[in-house]
Amino acid sequence: MKAVIGTLAACIGVFSAFLLQQALPAIHVFHGARFVFVPMIFCYAAMGLPFPAMLFVAFCTGLLSDLMYLHVVGGRVEIALGCSIVFFVIYGSIANGFRPSYLRGHWWPVIPLGVICTWAFLLMQFAMISLRREEFVFDEAILWRLLAPGLLAGLFVPILHAAVKPFAALIPENPRHAGKY
Amino acid sequence: MKKLHIVLLLAVVAIAVYLSALPPGKMQSLQGGFLSFLAPFLRTGSAVQEQIGSMGKGLKTLDEIEADNRKLNEVNRELLTTNNLLREIESENNRLRLALDYRERSVFRLLAARVISRDASTWWNTVKINRGFEDGLETDQPVLTEVGLVGKVTTVTKNESIVVLITDETCRVAAKVEGTREQGILSGMRIQDSGTSGELQLNFLTKNATLEPGQKVYTAGISNGVFPSGILIGKVKEFRTRALDGQALVEPAVDIAQTEDVFVVVGAK
Repeated sequence: MKAVIGTLAACIGVFSAFLLQQALPAIHVFHGARFVFVPMIFCYAAMGLPFPAMLFVAFCTGLLSDLMYLHVVGGRVEIALGCSIVFFVIYGSIANGFRPSYLRGHWWPVIPLGVICTWAFLLMQFAMISLRREEFVFDEAILWRLLAPGLLAGLFVPILHAAVKPFAALIPENPRHAGKY
Repeated sequence: MKKLHIVLLLAVVAIAVYLSALPPGKMQSLQGGFLSFLAPFLRTGSAVQEQIGSMGKGLKTLDEIEADNRKLNEVNRELLTTNNLLREIESENNRLRLALDYRERSVFRLLAARVISRDASTWWNTVKINRGFEDGLETDQPVLTEVGLVGKVTTVTKNESIVVLITDETCRVAAKVEGTREQGILSGMRIQDSGTSGELQLNFLTKNATLEPGQKVYTAGISNGVFPSGILIGKVKEFRTRALDGQALVEPAVDIAQTEDVFVVVGAK
């Protein structure tokens, strides 16, 4: 029961994060870097949910991400549908390895995991675009756009944890699985 | 890892691989469906933003006057845009008719549209407009304002469309420089400075081109191209010589960050 509610909550959280990202403006001081909350929320969910539920959330997150940012010009697709799914499945599997620690109350690994996930996600997008356009361009602005969203998302984790924890405590654990991970 | 987990993992990866193998058109239609689902959220956000922005004005003006004013402004800007296009086309038409007896070129039909959301991605420069295939929009239709070129339509849904802006690196336009025979391919930059109108690069010019800052850059209108000839793109900011060609940096005529109302060229009159 807890896993189902957690999965639904994670999907709603990811969807809300997409809408929030859409509404928030670029940060001029960071060379136009944007707020990217989705990988962080996904990481949090991947650490707390059982493996099958994590896979479902990874699929939804990847699909939403690809559909949201699909860029097709002149019949050329920059990042094909499905690429983000593979990314989130791989990264989710890594994050899910920290689940035992999370269940023992150590939630803080989500901060480095989420920050790295955000960086890796943006870097993957950048690498795929560069390969498609057959040219690697790298300057200060790109560095800021890669690094700043992860760091900002890292600052956001304690707020996310503080918001989620009281609700998680309200949902009763399935007695058969209590104490297991 | 349990066998079930491995099976599930492989199933998800298989679906992802299947999705990545879909043709671009199919991907766009999937995206279209998703954006249609998302449209109410985007429109609500846009409406809230608009309400907040026009709160002061709303208190001072009557609703009818505001609506009339908006309508008249729209008509006025449409006429201005049509007029500019007509003037360009007229001069070109006359020149071609005199020289080569070219067939008279048609006049464009414009459809007014409103920007409902701006791109929230790190790498692309796009906007969403409130017109879709129900309004007669198709992919690759040029989008402009009375000031100049904005971009082109890439993905069309029922009531919304995505417009890739000329400031995006993937939006390529055949362009010519006013008062010269110089023609090249114009595109945006990989990264645009936020809060500015952006910068464009006009590549493949001749190395010995004599371009001065301030010279206007127009669409060249190649045959079977997306953009008709004579639409203002911007002004030359700087010219530099490279190993094989010349490159001009161009300042866009339209301040895309501030643009709210655009026109889509939906066809000929």
